[in-house]
Amino acid sequence: MEDTEATGPDECLVSMKSVVKIYPDGTIALRGVDFTLRRGEIHGLLGENGAGKTTLMKILAGVLKPTSGTIYVGGRKVGFSAAADALKLGIGMVHQNLSLIPSFTVYENIVLGLSRRQLLNAKEGINKLMSLTGLKVPLDERVEGLPFGVRQKVEVLKMLFRNVDVLILDEPTTNLTLTETRELFNVINGLRRMGKSVVFITHKLREVLEVADRITVLRRGRVAGEVPRVEASLNLLAQLMVGKDAIPAVSRGVSTVGEELLIVRDLWILSDLGTWAVKGVSLTVRSGEILGIAGVEGNGQKELVEGLTGLRRVEKGEVIFRGQRIDNLPPSELYKLGVAHIPEDRVQVGLIQDFTVNENSILGIQRSMFFRGFLNTLAWDKVVEHASDLITKFNVIVPSLFSPVKYLSGGNQQRLVVAREISKEPQLIIAAQPTRGLDISATEHIRGLLLDLKKRGKVVLLVSSDLEEILQLSDRVAVMYEGRFVGVKDVGELTEDKLGLMLGGVSD
Amino acid sequence: MSYVIGTIINLLVSTSYAMTPLTLTAVGEITSERAGVVNIGLEGMISVSALVSVAVATQTLNPWLGLLAGVGVGALIGLIHGLISAYGKGAQIISGVGINIFALGFVPYMIIALWGVAGYKQVPEAGRIPRVAGLVSPVFILCVLVAIATHYVLFRTSLGLKIRALGEEPQAADTLGIHVERLQLIAAVYGGALAGLAGAFMSLDWLGTITKEIAAGRGFISLALVVFSNWKPSLALLGGALFGSSWALTEWLKVLPGVKGVVPVTIINTLPYVVTLGAVAGVIGRARPPRKSGVPYLRE
Repeated sequence: MEDTEATGPDECLVSMKSVVKIYPDGTIALRGVDFTLRRGEIHGLLGENGAGKTTLMKILAGVLKPTSGTIYVGGRKVGFSAAADALKLGIGMVHQNLSLIPSFTVYENIVLGLSRRQLLNAKEGINKLMSLTGLKVPLDERVEGLPFGVRQKVEVLKMLFRNVDVLILDEPTTNLTLTETRELFNVINGLRRMGKSVVFITHKLREVLEVADRITVLRRGRVAGEVPRVEASLNLLAQLMVGKDAIPAVSRGVSTVGEELLIVRDLWILSDLGTWAVKGVSLTVRSGEILGIAGVEGNGQKELVEGLTGLRRVEKGEVIFRGQRIDNLPPSELYKLGVAHIPEDRVQVGLIQDFTVNENSILGIQRSMFFRGFLNTLAWDKVVEHASDLITKFNVIVPSLFSPVKYLSGGNQQRLVVAREISKEPQLIIAAQPTRGLDISATEHIRGLLLDLKKRGKVVLLVSSDLEEILQLSDRVAVMYEGRFVGVKDVGELTEDKLGLMLGGVSD
Repeated sequence: MSYVIGTIINLLVSTSYAMTPLTLTAVGEITSERAGVVNIGLEGMISVSALVSVAVATQTLNPWLGLLAGVGVGALIGLIHGLISAYGKGAQIISGVGINIFALGFVPYMIIALWGVAGYKQVPEAGRIPRVAGLVSPVFILCVLVAIATHYVLFRTSLGLKIRALGEEPQAADTLGIHVERLQLIAAVYGGALAGLAGAFMSLDWLGTITKEIAAGRGFISLALVVFSNWKPSLALLGGALFGSSWALTEWLKVLPGVKGVVPVTIINTLPYVVTLGAVAGVIGRARPPRKSGVPYLRE
């Protein structure tokens, strides 16, 4: 009897108790979360980046194993070792990056893995399911040619055809058009009528209010609140999502704001999927100013940074830096004009892991005459001089200048990237998630360097999903949502309500 | 007139012989690669299986036991390669190279160790596979059936769908409860068994002898045939016929009056390889390999 839990009158289908998840690298994603799901309810799971939404649901779907905590399904205690186990108990998850086989037809993707007996009349069954749910997909077409919205429908159908009772949708509206989002909501409402339960993971306030019966808000790995739809409001949810301690009181130092150095007008950039990731963004930044771009990840920040740094094509609009058009210039030209970039991904983009500290310290400036030696070869003594100069000035701790950077800690790798970029004496520095995953001292050090650049009259564009960082450093804050800015505000005007609303896509 | 008909029949029969080992090996490799396991050790597997089947057939004077032993040895090497690839997540190219190098030493050594001769050993008449109507090899008939059946399984059954899913997106298959490693192992064993059958056919049937160079590049040409057939067993049958007929043509050209003694044999001998090269160069770019073939599947 101790492995079962009485099923209450409210038909509690799934119940998760004190779930903790610590990733192998030490990141604590969940700090004891309780979550319940009733039969036939649409449950919104709301939170910003790193709140633990996806982790919690991956545990329910059997993709991840919890560090501790228990899960009950239909009153019985369960332990999943693979996604297939959860699927057998009727729990299916549609991941943000779908798991379909591109070269297979829609039909083949739906029936993959089913037994021959289940395949009898499968087509008929799928057709019936399609008319029942309103999910219309072309069964005989290959998935690779289909737009994202249709692929997502295929995933939902795949799960429904396996008769799931619980369907988990992870940020399902991220890549959808407005019409497709409407369609999806109709489908979700239809599922509720069929008695299915749906977990809707999102950071979008209006959407969760529109479709959910009950909303659980997560913040930094804890439940910040659980609210029935009737008691929820935009303001309440925004507050729960961001929290009261979000706005730190830190002096940003006096800056003398000067002329407008960077002007971006109506910028349009495509995502990898071929949909618009940046939809007409405009901004201006003056010298001696830090403009913070906040937002939940996946709202176009990454593409915006890549567009501004010459790594992704700008389809429309213009970028003017010190009076000169710089859109679609290659990164090497941008460097000559004084644009530096601290990339989001130091492991893959910022550094070459197998190269030594010396070699990494001159990436991007290796053509500089300063490092030229006999017969145009690299003058290694100058390179070593430069590298050792950087590591002393910027407090980078390295085993040796000749060790590959993969042996440096994350914090020291990032210090090296920042040191190298600042050593280029940039006029504009674009910093994407500059302190993600770093310890406190490295974080403070890098933030200090950015503030220092600003004091010296440079332009800093800070893109971060860490609200504390945005608020601590920025003079003005723009919040990005679905490829647009929902508002640009002086940091003094921001309250947690306002910020939460903007993150959730509500402007005033 | 009868000379022409005779020549045509001769050419067709030699084509049926030359295409059998290529097609069998390619069909097995197609199955394996569709499941995500690439085996470039086919050349070595053909040689080792040919040797073992001769040893068994010479000992028992039963060609069928010899054939079975060849298939068994092929399957065993396939099993080892499958264990390394599917469960060990090892480098498949390295494992395949290992098989080839092993065969390079093992086969000539064993020929000397078993029979005390260097180079080659004739199979006694009683150990050779009898021919249907004195012309056609039963293994050729089996080869055609195997190719058609494998095509049917891969493209018309749920098992085939699962196998193909592994080579394309093993993670998607995994979440749906398909046993990735187990199926990959089965596919690798099947591929090994067919390469083994090809080796046994060459020594016990076609050539009636075992030499240390018995495979003569056929394992590698089979790999080319896999690409040429765009990973489809039915096309491997056709491609095998094309490659095989160029072999038959070579043998015919060598003794044709007017060519014999005029064109150097060494140049004629390159014909099958030139045809292979040309055919594969022609389809490259159009052929589409399984996306995750050769990539070990690691879970999150």
